[in-house]
Amino acid sequence: MKINVMQDVLQANDRIAEENRQLFRKNRNLVLNLMSSPGAGKTSLLEKTAEKLAGKLRLGVVVGDLETTRDADRISKFNIPAIQLTTGSACHLDANMVASALPHLQLDKIDILVVENVGNLVCPAEFIVGEDYKIMILSVTEGDEKPLKYPLMFHESALMLINKIDLVQYTNFNLEEARANARKINPDIDIIEISCTKGTGLDEWIAWLEKHHQKKLGELSHA
Amino acid sequence: MHEMGIAQNIVEIAVEAARKEGASKVTRINLISGELRGIVPMQLTFCFGIVAKDTMAAGAYLDIEEVPVSGHCKNCNADFSVEEYEYVCPKCGSPNIELTGGTELRIKDIEIE
Repeated sequence: MKINVMQDVLQANDRIAEENRQLFRKNRNLVLNLMSSPGAGKTSLLEKTAEKLAGKLRLGVVVGDLETTRDADRISKFNIPAIQLTTGSACHLDANMVASALPHLQLDKIDILVVENVGNLVCPAEFIVGEDYKIMILSVTEGDEKPLKYPLMFHESALMLINKIDLVQYTNFNLEEARANARKINPDIDIIEISCTKGTGLDEWIAWLEKHHQKKLGELSHA
Repeated sequence: MHEMGIAQNIVEIAVEAARKEGASKVTRINLISGELRGIVPMQLTFCFGIVAKDTMAAGAYLDIEEVPVSGHCKNCNADFSVEEYEYVCPKCGSPNIELTGGTELRIKDIEIE
């Protein structure tokens, strides 16, 4: 006997993500799901962001790492709340894992919560965790063709940060090509070139954060 | 390897739907998988076999219908398939399009005994 099911496979995840989202709305948090390959600079970006936002907006971080607590240790040095989720063999964070971290954070004392996903260009894009925006980092040492190889991630992201821009002269990474490839997949994607080590572009990134934080507050007050 | 998590969800949904019908066995699951989801059918089938073991869905055939990316132009109303992730209308060249296919990941129906 055949029975109709017509059910989204990730429905269970999406339901928990919606619960997370309600909690974030209540606490007026802007929530970003930060994704990239391993080593593209997610944790470095958060260190710089913590520095730059100090005294302006309160940052909180949930970080997924396979085995160690190194990333959370690096971020905690900046006096911002950071919860480590050791994912074991899981290659992405899902809504339920993020939900398990939330009771350990004082969400009402956080303006921007960044969920630092596991370094991976495929799986994290599949699982929403309750974020307002997905953002991703592509570093120039990875290659400008990445948007074409991992279309879902680039398609889902609101912002692409091109990191390690200070090293571009030593690589065959073509910035125009990278931009064109990303825009082909996602015409609306914002793109900012940055260098976490040299500080290039970080003011523009902070401005992006402030703008989207304001936008979220605006949406909440109209809701 | 998001296939493992996805396989787990597929088994849960199928077993739940079958149980509601009072079935004892799931023999086939028809899945719709959009191209943008990046599912590797061989891997998903492999993971499914492992996860389904010792459940009502053990031994069930997992059919994966792959759906190509398609779009609709908001400017000229053309419907078209998106080739090579080129998100512009092939008729009028407008980038103002919406995706109509390619992101789905859904169990269409199942066969039970």
